[in-house]
Amino acid sequence: MYVVKNALKCIGRSKGRNILIGIIVLVISVSACIGLSIRQAAESAKEESLSGMSVTATISVDRQSMMQGMREGGGFDPSSFQAGMSKLNELSVEEMQVYAGAESVSGFTYTLTATLNGSDDFEAVTTSTQEEDTGTANGMPGGPGQEFGGMGGGKMGIGPMGTQGDFTIVGYSGEDAMTDFLNGTCSLTEGTMFEEGTKAADCIISDELAIYNDLAVGDTIVVENPNLEGETYTLTVVGIYQNSASTAVSGGFMRGFSTSSDPANAIYMSYPALKDMVDTSAANAQTQTDETTGMESSTAVRASAAGTYSFADVEAYERFEEEARAMGLSDSYTITSSDLTAFENSLVPLENLSTMAGYFLLVVLAIGAVILIVLNIFNVRERKYEVGVLTAIGMKKQKVAMQFLCEIFVVTLAAVVVGAGIGAVSAVPVTNSLLQNQIQSQESTKEQREMNFGRGGGFDMENLGATPSMDGMGLPSGTGQMQNYISEISSAMNFTVLFQLLAIGVLLTLLASVVSMIFIMRYEPLKILANRD
Amino acid sequence: MSILKLENVCFSYGTKTVLEGVSYEFEKGKMYAVVGKSGAGKTTLLSVLSGLASPNRGTITYNGEDIRKLDKYRFRSKYIGVIFQSFNLLTKFTALENVELSMDIAGVKGRTKDKREQAMALLSSVGLEEDEANRRILKLSGGQQQRVAIARALSYNPDVILADEPTGNLDGETQKEIMEIFRELAEQGKCVILVSHSPEVARACDEIYELKRTKNERSRKAAV
Repeated sequence: MYVVKNALKCIGRSKGRNILIGIIVLVISVSACIGLSIRQAAESAKEESLSGMSVTATISVDRQSMMQGMREGGGFDPSSFQAGMSKLNELSVEEMQVYAGAESVSGFTYTLTATLNGSDDFEAVTTSTQEEDTGTANGMPGGPGQEFGGMGGGKMGIGPMGTQGDFTIVGYSGEDAMTDFLNGTCSLTEGTMFEEGTKAADCIISDELAIYNDLAVGDTIVVENPNLEGETYTLTVVGIYQNSASTAVSGGFMRGFSTSSDPANAIYMSYPALKDMVDTSAANAQTQTDETTGMESSTAVRASAAGTYSFADVEAYERFEEEARAMGLSDSYTITSSDLTAFENSLVPLENLSTMAGYFLLVVLAIGAVILIVLNIFNVRERKYEVGVLTAIGMKKQKVAMQFLCEIFVVTLAAVVVGAGIGAVSAVPVTNSLLQNQIQSQESTKEQREMNFGRGGGFDMENLGATPSMDGMGLPSGTGQMQNYISEISSAMNFTVLFQLLAIGVLLTLLASVVSMIFIMRYEPLKILANRD
Repeated sequence: MSILKLENVCFSYGTKTVLEGVSYEFEKGKMYAVVGKSGAGKTTLLSVLSGLASPNRGTITYNGEDIRKLDKYRFRSKYIGVIFQSFNLLTKFTALENVELSMDIAGVKGRTKDKREQAMALLSSVGLEEDEANRRILKLSGGQQQRVAIARALSYNPDVILADEPTGNLDGETQKEIMEIFRELAEQGKCVILVSHSPEVARACDEIYELKRTKNERSRKAAV
């Protein structure tokens, strides 16, 4: 006990030295606190987001691995690749539903997407000045449909992938499949939503489309099969929605390319209703075979089904692949989660910062440890006489060493506590500031890369970090060309950081004290006092 | 029965022999003087007696027990009180704190307040007032520091008091006062051993041991 009492007394009697040690430890602990907080924030952001995130995934043809396989098997041949791809269709809704039975899947929604042309009284919204051009002008915007796919040959007739219509018609399996409405991108402003699972040709259209064509709830619209002139379908407008993304998009590359890719030209209806239309079209379709290529093409409305599997958490998503393969999913298909990928991308700046903080922490600790060891050696050498006196009057060397340890420990602890306080206050702004720099640097690199490819101006720097945040963290929305990064953290300091900081303090104290203890144990009181005399 | 006994004690620093075949006995209640010329090994003898140095040959017994078998720190902190020639006080501490610390090291039991009163009484008994007791060592005169060193040596009530040149730096009046303190301690039953080259100190003691320079030391001196 007297060792502690004596240590405290000695701290008070050597203020200058202890203040110097305290300042050094304070600088180390503030730096360490910020470094640890950044690492902790990155970890917490990841964990919290992952724990609260319901993951969705899709199954699609693994084109990349097919190409890779062909290359490894003796060289890539485009014609055999096309033949292989034509055999390998995207999964049908029925096939997708099989995999939805996997244990890990918590929900399954599906959509059917088709493109259709407008009619005389119903035209697609377009900002292009060439809207009167014919649709046969390859790659130009507007017009009543452009042929896609290329394989069938521009003006040669209908290609195997059909002709692109002016409108994108999406049939939803249910309301839970309507992600744009769920996440708030779209909202119904007039009328009602079409009934879930209805076969009635009810649809909802965008407010822009309604204004453009002077339509109101209750009106009917006529759409036409882009592959077969005269094959029309009449839809009833039961609701009008507003799409915030539609007005926010500033006219990108794709929008100018096709009117159907414009969010304003999206028409939503129920899956069974659209499926009915597609089935009717298929039943009445004519087929023809290209004499040169031998490929068969049909006049049926082209539609593509997409299924989205929902998972309660990332672990469930990770289990799904194994389960799906066991259920017979071929290796030619791949399971991907766009929101997980977006989420991982959103973490890049924070993780980069975390890595840098780790290195910074190591450097600070190494330099700090060296400084403390040197200071401690000076301290013991300066107090050699005191060590001599104490041991001469019967104080054991271990106790003397313990007293010195107590002194440095108390000073270190006080500095660590103050440092933790300063660190706690400054960690969040410092982290956010560094994070912003990291994001800007990330975006600049990306922008520069885009510029190098002649695609400049695609990013809006002012909107960085303006994503809606949840619990203080800007979560990725996954829309648009711009990557949404986690741009700010709300809290960085917690008990883990405090504990780690304390552990660092104790470790530094012990490390610095070990050297001084060695000195103390080697001192002989007689020699010290004799030299003094 | 002697409380401290040296039998044929030899001590050398490397090849330099300082003590050779020293055999002395010290009893409680008596005041001893160990005298000798400079270099005779007086301070070395004090170091050996206090356990700060171990003899190369011979034995030293305390109450019949070889001090090599005792814990030397415990021996120094409990059984023997040493007053060093240069006092060896902790300069950053006050006189009172020096005495208190010595009591703590010796493991003197009691409440802090009681021990403080005890330390203050000790300082008072060697002639230091409360104001002086609360002064840091460097603020005290040589005589006052000598008194603090005596008080510190007495703080844990040891049986043996060892003092190295206790009057070396003091004026006549103070010397007299200090010697009176030692006399009182001897009368209280302590064994007081004073190492000094002063004839006055020797005359004031009950028994005198004279240390002579070793042959080795003498021949070295002659060569010089």
